[in-house]
Amino acid sequence: MPINESTFKVLTISITLLLTAFILSLVVCIVTHTSPQSLLTSIASEEIRFAIKLSLLTSAISTLMCVVVSIPAAYALARYNFFGKTLVNTIVDLPLALPPLVAGVGLLLLFGTTPFGAWLENFGLNFVLTPLGIVIAQFAVNISFMLRIMRSTFEGISPRYEYVAQTLGCNPIQAFLQTTLPMSKNGLMAGGIITWSKGIGEFGAALMLAGATRMKTETLPISLYLNMSCGDLELAIAAATILIVISIISLYIFEQRGGSTQLY
Amino acid sequence: MIRIENVSKNLGEFKLDDATLQIDEGEYFIILGPTGAGKTILIETIAGIYRPDSGRVFLNGVDVTNILPKDRQISMVYQDYMLFPHLNVAGNIGFGLRQKKIAKSEIIMKTGEIAELLGVSHLLSRYPGTLSGGEKQRIAIARAVVTEPKVLLLDEPLSALDSRTTERLQAELARIHEITGTTTIHVTHSFEEAFALGDRIAVMCGGRIMQVGAPDDVFRRPNSEFIADFVGVENLFRGKSVVHDSIALVHADGMSMVSSSLKSGDVSISIRPEDILISKKEIETSARNSFYGEITEVKNMGTIMRVVVDVGVPIVVALTKQSYEDMGLLCGACVWIVFKASAVHLF
Repeated sequence: MPINESTFKVLTISITLLLTAFILSLVVCIVTHTSPQSLLTSIASEEIRFAIKLSLLTSAISTLMCVVVSIPAAYALARYNFFGKTLVNTIVDLPLALPPLVAGVGLLLLFGTTPFGAWLENFGLNFVLTPLGIVIAQFAVNISFMLRIMRSTFEGISPRYEYVAQTLGCNPIQAFLQTTLPMSKNGLMAGGIITWSKGIGEFGAALMLAGATRMKTETLPISLYLNMSCGDLELAIAAATILIVISIISLYIFEQRGGSTQLY
Repeated sequence: MIRIENVSKNLGEFKLDDATLQIDEGEYFIILGPTGAGKTILIETIAGIYRPDSGRVFLNGVDVTNILPKDRQISMVYQDYMLFPHLNVAGNIGFGLRQKKIAKSEIIMKTGEIAELLGVSHLLSRYPGTLSGGEKQRIAIARAVVTEPKVLLLDEPLSALDSRTTERLQAELARIHEITGTTTIHVTHSFEEAFALGDRIAVMCGGRIMQVGAPDDVFRRPNSEFIADFVGVENLFRGKSVVHDSIALVHADGMSMVSSSLKSGDVSISIRPEDILISKKEIETSARNSFYGEITEVKNMGTIMRVVVDVGVPIVVALTKQSYEDMGLLCGACVWIVFKASAVHLF
């Protein structure tokens, strides 16, 4: 059979459809494993409700931290030249490539074994085996995503908007707050959503630092892991289903807000 | 009045090299130069966006070198408008007034007045994304002048616009300058804008200010090869034109000529040296403009000769070396020059 354009088209589309079917089957397998009735019962259980609440709370706090830190840092990297900037750029991108487990070990050593960790404990900031550890683990793993999105957002906005604002009576901070920041709304939304969704799914680093203690550091992925390993499939499926729903919602919002924003 | 003294600034790609300049109160000052000449850095340094590496900037005698842009009362308009996309037109125009914590009613009133002046009143509730280039630039100008700045900086304000809009906005800029009397610095690479608007012109190249003077001086007596080449247009005049019977009668520097460009009032006039014929005797042709004068200068440009004929004003005529030699033209000889009405460009 001669290979013409239509065979090539059929071939590539077929592979795409197979891939789609593969991904879809994963999701379908999870949500159809139990009956809707037992799924609802599981979701209503005290443990899953705790996991949902802890996941939402920790991811909200860590996302807020990512936003607050990434805005000034991304601005500096986008607008200014300073000594060692290339090196700094590489280092702040490192968590993107680093396995979360490795980041978790680093966090555990930083907060568990160094004088810095001991000093923080004096103020009641104990990160080891606590919900606070989940927050810092999510922050450590996700900050690079937020930073990258904000950096490319700021890079895409001409500094001249701020120059104009400055000539019209703004100091540099006011100029930023009144022009570049509101103009970055889409990047901020997209970055915030992806960071939040990744925070909810964060497992490896959180496991290392905060551990997997039932009803204490049990987020949705930890709950999935705990219930899977002790054979309580109903609860595990409930946690997985909620994670799927959150992923789909956040992907949708991300595509709406900043699908064109470059992640890598 | 603005005075900059020995200002240097190096931004890598662009630089300013030991610039010294004085711009008088109320003046319409043009900075002319090719791309990359350092024109934008110069005005951004005047605005205070950049602190000079060396040198000082004075505004009305006060050293403002280390003063923030917000405290200089200098407004800026860029070629690409820089309207804030998240604010509507009224929000854009009122931006500077809001920073001054002026009462809301007064902001609305002033915004309305300036919008009226620039003919954009009907756009006040629109967002910048939906406007044409000409409308955007009018709004950018409104936003800059509504704060009543001491100095208005215009960075290639007409370069992104089509020629009709450019022509109209050029007239508008002249009118606004007349009404407000604001000292204006206008950066351009267009000699037409420079000639039509400027009280004085500074020509820049490679970060340096090459020549400063009245447009006539700069265009007719360039002090360097570069400026002569860059300006590239000889036979520029200013005059008055009256359109009558589909032809413009133009008076400039004691010379009367006709033009087929139908523009009346105060005009700038250019005639390309290639469009002018030279003859030793008076000849009868269809060309409507004919003058008698003496050859005062002959420049050899290789295959082309440029002959300056003084007919009350110096007019440059270009002809090939071949015809120049065949005609036996010499300095001091008296000749006729002839050009058609369509060769007289009014702008």
